[in-house]
Amino acid sequence: MSQPGFTVDVDHNQYLPEGGRDVSAIATVISEGTPAAAAGADSGGSAEIIIVDCSGSMDVPHSKIAQARAATVAAIDVVRDGAHFAVIAGTSFARPVYPPAGTMAVASPQTRAEARQAVNGLRAGGGTAIGKWLQLASQVFRTSPATLRHAILLTDGRNQHETPEELATVVSACDGFFTCDCRGVGTDWEVSELRKISSTLLGTVDIIPDPAGLAADFEAMTRNAMSKQVADVALRVWTPQQAEVRFVKQVSPTVEDLSARRVTTSAQVGDYPTGAWGPGESRDYHVGIRVQPGFVGQEMLAARISLVVDSQVLGQGLVRANWTDDEALSTRINSRVAHYTGQAELASAIQAGLEAKKQGDEETATAKLGRAVALAKESGNEDTAKLLAKVVDVIDEATGTVRLKKKVDDADQMALDTRSTKTVRVRKEHV
Amino acid sequence: MDGRSTEDVECSSCGALVGVWDRYCESCGTDLAPPVDSAGTPGSLTECPVCSADPEAPPGGISADGYCEVCGHKMPSDRDHVPVNLGLLAGLSDRGQRHARNEDAMALATSRSREKPPVAIAVVCDGVSTSPRPDEASLAAARAAVRVLLTGARMDEDPEETSREAVRAAFTALGGVAGPDGAPACTYASAVVDADSATVCWLGDSRVYWLAAAPDADQPAVPEDATTRPVGQAPQWPVSKCLTKDDSLAAELVATGLLTEEEAMASPQAHVITQWLGADFPDYHPHVRRIPLSGPGAILVCSDGLWNYRPEAGDLAALALPGGLKSPLDAVTELVKIANDMGGRDNITAVLVPFPPSTP
Repeated sequence: MSQPGFTVDVDHNQYLPEGGRDVSAIATVISEGTPAAAAGADSGGSAEIIIVDCSGSMDVPHSKIAQARAATVAAIDVVRDGAHFAVIAGTSFARPVYPPAGTMAVASPQTRAEARQAVNGLRAGGGTAIGKWLQLASQVFRTSPATLRHAILLTDGRNQHETPEELATVVSACDGFFTCDCRGVGTDWEVSELRKISSTLLGTVDIIPDPAGLAADFEAMTRNAMSKQVADVALRVWTPQQAEVRFVKQVSPTVEDLSARRVTTSAQVGDYPTGAWGPGESRDYHVGIRVQPGFVGQEMLAARISLVVDSQVLGQGLVRANWTDDEALSTRINSRVAHYTGQAELASAIQAGLEAKKQGDEETATAKLGRAVALAKESGNEDTAKLLAKVVDVIDEATGTVRLKKKVDDADQMALDTRSTKTVRVRKEHV
Repeated sequence: MDGRSTEDVECSSCGALVGVWDRYCESCGTDLAPPVDSAGTPGSLTECPVCSADPEAPPGGISADGYCEVCGHKMPSDRDHVPVNLGLLAGLSDRGQRHARNEDAMALATSRSREKPPVAIAVVCDGVSTSPRPDEASLAAARAAVRVLLTGARMDEDPEETSREAVRAAFTALGGVAGPDGAPACTYASAVVDADSATVCWLGDSRVYWLAAAPDADQPAVPEDATTRPVGQAPQWPVSKCLTKDDSLAAELVATGLLTEEEAMASPQAHVITQWLGADFPDYHPHVRRIPLSGPGAILVCSDGLWNYRPEAGDLAALALPGGLKSPLDAVTELVKIANDMGGRDNITAVLVPFPPSTP
């Protein structure tokens, strides 16, 4: 299979003052091609596993398990012909639902009909041990040659029937093998628990407060997974000797700090996982580098950012640094660097504010969520501003003066938490 | 260009014998006197001068895009210091001390024929640093223009008309390098020097000077100040002067009498140019002048990296002449060195054409 290319567009203020060391750049990565290129039958490269929580609580109310079945069927319906798929039921154990042998089926009208029938037989009853579910998913993926592996994990409760350590061990074993989008239905599950899984497995996390919303979301996630064309793409960062990579973050469409995910391939080169990409997909990364200072007039390559698949470089952008004694140049603030710095702070302010609120520390919660309100306003992140307004009473948006609401809907608070990392984009500055 | 008297020389490309006045090789079709520009030759460095100066540093290669694989420093570009000597004229384009790259470009050419005296052609362009890829702009414009000027000289076309056409060709070339990041732009100054005149053409603040030599070449060059001439005596030779008028805010302020030249050059807008060549500015109006000359002296085409330090024509003449009459390369080397010694804040390009152009 010929690999698609990537374009890497670097936006930053490349001018540093005399003695300046910190280079901060936004790299916009776009995979070539158009989304339409992914239409039609699958060549057998995609594998989709739907993991459905069948614990006892899924029966309360009964519509939960019924909607989960319907959502699973909706997902199966949009698995493209030729792609591999399977369904797993999760309780304190994990059980292959379809194909029952714990393998993967090749999608066709016939296998989809068989799967629908098997899914409609799902009943609720038992505990929750998410690590076991992921472990079985991993085994089932191994029966298929497909390399674009994606799972959907649905749960309605906490991981009660295994230790956090057991879960963490399984999640890190799955890291790099498949990607996973996590969904919590209702409000009895733990956002931070699912976020740990989705972050490590390079997927998303979200709340579906009303089970009726499951089907549309499952369909969208499956379609998105089917649109992927290339798996295991790494963002490779080359830096000069004696330079330090301060951070590497995905900042669009969501904030995801990848700094700790560095796999050092040589003294000056580190790879950061980005998962699978579909044609035309675009993401922004914020890279911070600290270099040895140069003298005025000198140019240095602070970083070379490449997209790499199987050690093949499929696109590259350069982060340059020029030292100048022209203050007008060196003090210029790049608007996109500033914007995404604000968006990352917005996400962490929300998470810290909600955590403080949970601990009963109203003062910190008010300060953090107030800061978040101001940042959301400043950056034009209207969706996040709306979610914040359901948790706090906004007195002055610009200064971030807020009061915690006396009564907050659990679902609203969890939606704010899960969606805190969603960012809005700004156009590249035109100089 | 070496004045050899034999009728036949070897073609530089295929080695076939060609006549000294031939324009093209009859065997392989190579242009025997092609224009030469300041693009330099790529890939000349194999070792990083920064790392190799440090005995502790491990050996590192140079990446294809010109950075050291170990320390990340930008390798000196082939355009950083480019001397070109065509005998009839010589030029030097230099990065200077403060800029990371040389965004100036020059292109030189000569037209010789058995029938008429030789013609020397010089183009200097200075990339506008607020435009994207100004270094590409200056080189593309200079290259496109010199080809038109050379063809015009060979065909004996009117040099003023040819000069206008050359600017159009440069503008078209800049359209070709424009991209999604914007329109690369540059200044433009050209001189076509024949046996009795110089035709100059410009946009922006690159300049063309006439540097007058003293009648006795052993004497210092004649200063511009006419008061040194005995009263009532007509000049025996034209005095040194700048032949171009900058398209700059500073020049406009001086012209309106709002500021003196000194005040204007000290103002922050001194280098704001009011005309340039670039795809974003189709409404440009090049200035063209044909100036009758009687020698001896020299035509100097230069970027502001030089004249910022030595704006007076008389000063430049005193520095470049009389040595430049015989060895224009030595003279431009000296001029560029002076600008570098004074700070080299900008890229520096100087081309000197001894007048009248003649094969020694």
